[in-house]
Amino acid sequence: MWRQCCPTCSLFPIAPQHKIGDACLMENTSLSPKPFHFAAAFGAGGLLTLMILCNGTLATYGSLFFASWVPHLAGSIVALILLMALRSGRATKARPPIWAYLGGVSGGITVMLTSATMNTALALSGTIALGLAGQVLFSLFADVRGLFGLPQRMPSQRDYISLTLIIAGSLVLIFFGGEA
Amino acid sequence: MIVYAAFAVIAGLLVGLSRQINGRLALSTSAMESSFWNHFVGFVFITGVALIIGGLFAGEPQESPWWAYLGGPIGVIFIAAGSWLIPRIGAAQTAMLIIAGQMISGVVLDIVMGAPGSQWVRAFGVALILAGMWVARGAPKKN
Repeated sequence: MWRQCCPTCSLFPIAPQHKIGDACLMENTSLSPKPFHFAAAFGAGGLLTLMILCNGTLATYGSLFFASWVPHLAGSIVALILLMALRSGRATKARPPIWAYLGGVSGGITVMLTSATMNTALALSGTIALGLAGQVLFSLFADVRGLFGLPQRMPSQRDYISLTLIIAGSLVLIFFGGEA
Repeated sequence: MIVYAAFAVIAGLLVGLSRQINGRLALSTSAMESSFWNHFVGFVFITGVALIIGGLFAGEPQESPWWAYLGGPIGVIFIAAGSWLIPRIGAAQTAMLIIAGQMISGVVLDIVMGAPGSQWVRAFGVALILAGMWVARGAPKKN
């Protein structure tokens, strides 16, 4: 898939009107996190904790469907307002493939799977731990293959070391951090 | 049991899949548009499944505190951030830095809310994660 992509911006297929520098990701030449990327990803993880707190609270009062349905509805409205306020427009005139719109379906199935496993012997800790494993395996495979038209990137030894440390720390926190 | 373990792993795979697909959409559109479609398509999908299975408004959802409804707006920023990051630093680094942020903020939240747990174990877990982040932010590999 990568070979069909623009070598600079990783878009595929390359739009006929495409110019180098136009919506290009120049950072691709060295995909090492810059401090801002670093802070943004770390901060996004913090947002995820708050999101889980909110949605988990909804689930204790209403059904699991409700706890997923409401944030998706509210999120659609807020995103639409932000989209109109930002007036950012699209990066390219080339239409994205139709499957690129289906990320939300994958997210919806995730909610259903985790709500099924949370009430088994796996409990919340086991569900989170196995989920982290699945997420990490997918992301490594996705990078190696450049899945779905995103840049291909070979994980370095450094990546594997930091990944191991972060996952080890996460497992310590998940299984021994709290006395639930 | 093994079925449920598989479900939990697949749920994780789907988190990565979703981020990858949303990242591709953001390349052609924008991170915010990708976040909108993620929420809107997810909303339509969940509505459909809930109509088939039923029980969407079971329980006492009207009793939940007002702040519990902020999960959606927070999710908008979260999905937009992931879509913006993934083509720039790759799927693996996006995933591991989000996991690091999630885990450490989770510890902070536990301490703030007074959840029971060993401070020593928490400190050890957080130290491992910080060490992993320190390794990740080293000098870039020369091509």
